[in-house]
Amino acid sequence: MKVAENIIESIAVIEVEGNIDSKTAPEFEKAALASIKNQGQVIIDLSKVEFLSSAGLRVLLMIYRQIKVQSGKVVLVGVSEEIQEVMSNTGFINFFIIVGTIEEGIQTLKS
Amino acid sequence: MNSRSYFVFMQMELKTFPATVDSLDPLRQYVKDVSQQAGLDKKATYNLILAVDEIATNIILYGYEKAGLEGFIDVLTEVSDNRLKVVFEDDAAPFDPTTRELPDEEDFDLPLEERPIGGLGIYLTINGVSEFSYEYINNRNRNIFEVDIKSP
Repeated sequence: MKVAENIIESIAVIEVEGNIDSKTAPEFEKAALASIKNQGQVIIDLSKVEFLSSAGLRVLLMIYRQIKVQSGKVVLVGVSEEIQEVMSNTGFINFFIIVGTIEEGIQTLKS
Repeated sequence: MNSRSYFVFMQMELKTFPATVDSLDPLRQYVKDVSQQAGLDKKATYNLILAVDEIATNIILYGYEKAGLEGFIDVLTEVSDNRLKVVFEDDAAPFDPTTRELPDEEDFDLPLEERPIGGLGIYLTINGVSEFSYEYINNRNRNIFEVDIKSP
């Protein structure tokens, strides 16, 4: 798994590539929490993530909690059909904005 | 051993993985290959992989590592009667995941910041397969995942 962080139009954009399981989730957590520090809005690009276990869902929950404190929003980009279904079955989906591209995410957060 | 159980035993393929988190990726890949050969569709395959990953994680982190033990997970697979069966066997202390308290509908309606997170992996496991069961036999944990193979 690889995590890359960017700031686009003052929004934290985190791109993840690979599988998020209990081996890689700690690394995802560390990188994500560092890059959203003092950020009100975040976009997480999961379009190159094939697999996300409950360890990954926990990290998304932590990111959500941190952003929520600043009354911000968490946008997820390119979530696979299978992962969306898992998020839907567990009620996680309601707390995130899910879009197809980073551009859409930026537009959503800017509007 | 009667002839029937001997027959069943002969049908099962065995592959052994060291009980470390480095095994999660190859273990998922192995179960994915078996699922595709068995004719599971993409969704059923993903949900089974998620289930086996969650249980393997529990065995590795809590069964072995937390107890300061090293060991293995034996993965047995079998296809019969339109059902794919995957069995994990390990030598860690007895642990029955089905006795864990599961999150219920009410928990899923809670705002995410108030939600108890424990038991989520087991919930995903049970919901990811047609049948999940546990038994402790000959000093080994046996976690059993069964998925119905729907004809296309």
